Amino acid sequence: MSETFTKSMARNIFYGGAVFFFLLFLALTFDTVQSVPKRSHSEGVTDSVIRGKHIWETRDCIGCHTLLGEGAYFAPELGNVYKRRGGEFIKAWIRAQPTGAPGRRQMPQFNLTDQQLDDLVNFLKWTSEINTTRNWPPNIEG
Amino acid sequence: MQYKSQAVAKPYFIAAIGLFVGQILFGLIMGYQYVVGDFLFPAIPFNVARMVHTNLLIVWILFGFMGAAYYLIPEEAETELFSPKLAWIMFWIFLVAGALTIVGYLAVPYATLAKMTGNDILATMGREFLEQPLPTKVGIVIVALAFLFNISMTVLKGRKTSISLVLLLGLWGLAIFFLFSFYNPSNLVMDKYFWWWTVHLWVEGVWELILGAMLAFVLIKITGVDREVIEKWLYIIIAMTLITGIIGTGHHYFWIGTPEYWQWFGSVFSALEPIPFFMMTVFAFNMVNRRRREHPNKAATLWALGTSVMAFLGAGVWGFLHTLSPVNFYTHGTQITAAHGHLSFYGAYAMVNLTMISYAMPMLRGRSANSGSAQIMEMWSFWLMTVSMVFITLFLTAAGILQIWLQRMGTTPLGFMAAQDQVMLFYWLREITGFVFLIGLVLYIWSFFCKKGTAQAAA
Amino acid sequence: MINNTSTSHEIHATPPGDLAIWFFIFAELLAFGVFFVAYAFARAHNVALFDESQQHLNRTSGAINTLVLITSSYFMVRAVAAIKQGLSRECARWIAAAIGMGGVFLVIKLFEFHAKFSAGISLSTNTFYMFYLSLTIFHFMHVILGMVILAAVMLKARGGGYSAENHTGVETGASYWHMVDLLWIILFPLVYVIH
Repeated sequence: MSETFTKSMARNIFYGGAVFFFLLFLALTFDTVQSVPKRSHSEGVTDSVIRGKHIWETRDCIGCHTLLGEGAYFAPELGNVYKRRGGEFIKAWIRAQPTGAPGRRQMPQFNLTDQQLDDLVNFLKWTSEINTTRNWPPNIEG
Repeated sequence: MQYKSQAVAKPYFIAAIGLFVGQILFGLIMGYQYVVGDFLFPAIPFNVARMVHTNLLIVWILFGFMGAAYYLIPEEAETELFSPKLAWIMFWIFLVAGALTIVGYLAVPYATLAKMTGNDILATMGREFLEQPLPTKVGIVIVALAFLFNISMTVLKGRKTSISLVLLLGLWGLAIFFLFSFYNPSNLVMDKYFWWWTVHLWVEGVWELILGAMLAFVLIKITGVDREVIEKWLYIIIAMTLITGIIGTGHHYFWIGTPEYWQWFGSVFSALEPIPFFMMTVFAFNMVNRRRREHPNKAATLWALGTSVMAFLGAGVWGFLHTLSPVNFYTHGTQITAAHGHLSFYGAYAMVNLTMISYAMPMLRGRSANSGSAQIMEMWSFWLMTVSMVFITLFLTAAGILQIWLQRMGTTPLGFMAAQDQVMLFYWLREITGFVFLIGLVLYIWSFFCKKGTAQAAA
Repeated sequence: MINNTSTSHEIHATPPGDLAIWFFIFAELLAFGVFFVAYAFARAHNVALFDESQQHLNRTSGAINTLVLITSSYFMVRAVAAIKQGLSRECARWIAAAIGMGGVFLVIKLFEFHAKFSAGISLSTNTFYMFYLSLTIFHFMHVILGMVILAAVMLKARGGGYSAENHTGVETGASYWHMVDLLWIILFPLVYVIH
């Protein structure tokens, strides 16, 4: 009796399954959005951090670096660079680019002002304090 | 070609292939910068090359999808396209906007480009894959809406098949989830969370509907298997895709400051993500084995089967390799990710477009298949590109494993650049293999101009 | 049940109902199955925490809910038996009863969730509660989905859409509903009882 495998049932399962799992995804998203402020210390997102994020974006840093593991894999992870190097080192490093060492990977000179450098460092500092699961990255080298 | 208006697909396919060439050239530049760091610096810094590489990829895939839709929808709906003229206008708008964006990336520093294009009004730039200036993003939305209007109207006035419905759903989803690219919260965690709503829900969600519909269409045409059979399997496969893939988004929420339960949800559901890809492989081979006709276009059959296998390998196997959170803890953000990205994008989305082009282009040029020698050349290009992409993936995987070992394991981990120096050999091998890929691509394009032998007459 | 022995002992080459639902059931069982294994894995690494937290679950309501779902499954069996004899109205009534029991399950569960949420428990409280809430809410949503499917089948049955010969739809709905029941029968001892 049950040789049945109909297209309409297959279609219902597609629509039903898609809607069902999207609703579950929305429920989880709702819970996540509730808990992000605490985990990311959102009270620390100051104007300076926001400006720093803007610098980060408009220099396309993600085109070479990763930030919390996302981005390009050409240059070091920067999610924990504040902990690895500290603010002063980061500023000096950015000012000193490019190194011009022959055959080595080069970072462009972005001509950032002192204010912009401070903002960028504040953004990276705040990022390094985000409560990531198991304190990712695995070690200080990122 | 059964309907005159299908001809509008041709410029889309040509543009897609042209942009594909550009993507590969910039890929080779980047590959060389991996080994000789200051190559082309400061004219084309790595981040600019990468932006061009990835954005060209997205744009050519979109051109391919649109061309596929313009070819496929009239034939499925059994009616002429609602407005071929609108399709032509949108073609030029999209091509010019795309070209201007690339020129913008290359001609001025990114920060200047951002300033020039109103990024201060609504900051959306500088996030991976969504680097496009605001006017380009708005342009993409306009082109997408005009395109969707055009094909939706065509389907509405004609026959409504499951393939066109699935394709439409995928394309509408593509447009809707792109809207998240305009949302850029100042909290980085939220930014990343919703960034994936565009990126993941595209490539592991709605794009797979498009892929499934395109593959199903080509399989119906080349195998002559009953539409009912193909369409119900299409539904089951894409049902599996969304059942696993939507919550599977969670594998991107492991380490970005999102709650810990994503470790479990992401691992469990994305562990199941290979299933639909495996089903697709079995499905494609089954349909070809049960074929009721011998279609003269052997090359298209090869591409179709190749897509199903390579999508399974790239998205399924290489995805599974690093999707479980205890593994991903070490692999996240390394060359392993790059390996997976290359094979899955090539295997799923590049190849499904090449499948469609391989099937449709001869038709658009007034014959059911190219001459035997042209097809043989095309099959050579298939093998050259596919095998070299497998090797690129293997070399990147090897580089990734070594990188993780040196940089993330053990008590005395190396710094990032020190570890990079150690894996240089694999980057060299990858770059050399990249040139083999380019040869395959050149051969592919050459096969379009192969004059030897006689083409099959139009069916 | 008065039934023709030759049909009731029929051996099916394929599972009852539409094959398509079995793909869905397969995917669901796999997702739950992997989740159960993950639970066992996580528990093995943290036995003390799991045992301690488990004490705070309401086992009585869980046990009642088990009975409720088993009864509901039985009603669905009666519904399938009824339609095999061509009794559409009776089939619809049995399905309505099954849906009613599903509703009882949801109400009891809501009381349980309410108690937990008022105690300030969330997905991020600890690993045990992550699993407890994820699994039970995930299952809760399946009960709702099952009820929606049964409601659609019931409406069609009431309208005379099925017959003794053609009742695949009823079996399809019943198959899914039995799966929802089965999952709870595994989930309840695993999360509430075993320690």
